[in-house]
Amino acid sequence: MDTIIIEDALFAAIAAIGFSSISHLPKRAYPYCAVIAALSHSLRYIVMQNPEWHMHIFPATLLASFFTGISAVFLSHLAKTPAEACFFPSLLPMIPGMYAYRTFGAIAACIFSDTPDTFSFYFYQFAHNGFICISVLISMVVGSTIPIAIFKKVSFQATR
Amino acid sequence: MTTMTSMTSDKPTLRTQEIIVFLADYGAWLLGCGATCIRLEKNVHRIANAFGLTVEIIITPRHIHLSTTGQDYSEPFTITAPTKVHATDFEIITQLSRLSWEVADKGPDFKRLKSEFHSITNNNRQNKWLVLFLVTLANASFCRLFGGDLTAMSLVAVATLAGYYLKQCLIEAKTDIRLTVLICSFVSSILGSTDYLFSLGSTPAITIGTSVLYLIPGIPYLNSFSDLLYRYYICSFSRFMDAIVMTACLSIGLCTGMMLMNIGMF
Repeated sequence: MDTIIIEDALFAAIAAIGFSSISHLPKRAYPYCAVIAALSHSLRYIVMQNPEWHMHIFPATLLASFFTGISAVFLSHLAKTPAEACFFPSLLPMIPGMYAYRTFGAIAACIFSDTPDTFSFYFYQFAHNGFICISVLISMVVGSTIPIAIFKKVSFQATR
Repeated sequence: MTTMTSMTSDKPTLRTQEIIVFLADYGAWLLGCGATCIRLEKNVHRIANAFGLTVEIIITPRHIHLSTTGQDYSEPFTITAPTKVHATDFEIITQLSRLSWEVADKGPDFKRLKSEFHSITNNNRQNKWLVLFLVTLANASFCRLFGGDLTAMSLVAVATLAGYYLKQCLIEAKTDIRLTVLICSFVSSILGSTDYLFSLGSTPAITIGTSVLYLIPGIPYLNSFSDLLYRYYICSFSRFMDAIVMTACLSIGLCTGMMLMNIGMF
């Protein structure tokens, strides 16, 4: 499990650096984003995979996103960038990509289904994957944005 | 085009007028580069206060309205500036935020403020090849995070490289961003579907699913919630709708690509 966690952290860090470059983040902030992404993604992995906790993806993402937000607020002072600039790339590795993919796929399958049974099956797939996808997205956004609102004064002085 | 209105016959002083015109431009750049409304408002107020002015801001999705009454309520003046059309750019947001703190901490110097603002907004280039390389690596890593094997990672890297390069070319050619997302998603999904078509690896669904993830409009979703939190409902709704439209374009491209390749989802 240790190897998997390290691998998970490494790939999350690479993904965060890549997505930092898309939004033209200052280069000095890349290492901070990589560290936040690695820690938060590993945290989510641990709480979801640990047999004792075995947390559902929704609360696990909420917890990891909150950690991302808190880390971004305090590390953004070192990176001298706005806190939201720091947490966005770190958050992206948690995007529920496969759930989104299955949701869109199910919509297409619903449209082209020709019997009530196949329609019901794909509609169930759409609703199931769609709800999980939306709830994870909401937990990501809420979890990471709340710390900025809580530590408003700290957050808005990072570029001072 | 900036619209100015003086509300009384007493003309505002040139200096007040200049500062407000500058602030409108400053705000328009921040909004265009993807700053949250709360940051925009705080930065603009910070600079205005440093010059001894009180301003009121109305932020709409496509315009910014700034009003001031002048220092002794004798110079009412309103200006409307259109939002700058620009890709999300945290470098500009960071530098503009720092500029506002410099004015607040070191004292107002309008000439220097203007010249620094122009240097920030004009000299802001990024190495597009480096970005292309990093995005390719990032999406391949994404694939691994979702459980893709080495073949899936390689194919996702190729699909991302081609799709993102196409995106850069289309944006340079000033193509509509929605059409750009749709075309790039279509191309990436076709390249990603080779894993299914030729049975190359053991995780073909993950290959297709992650091949388009670099197009997800994450920042508009996050900014939308931030605006909602601070009760900028109009901007929040507008950003959310923008993100929804982008996501719809992405999914249309993905589904069209998959249907063309005759690939089922489940």
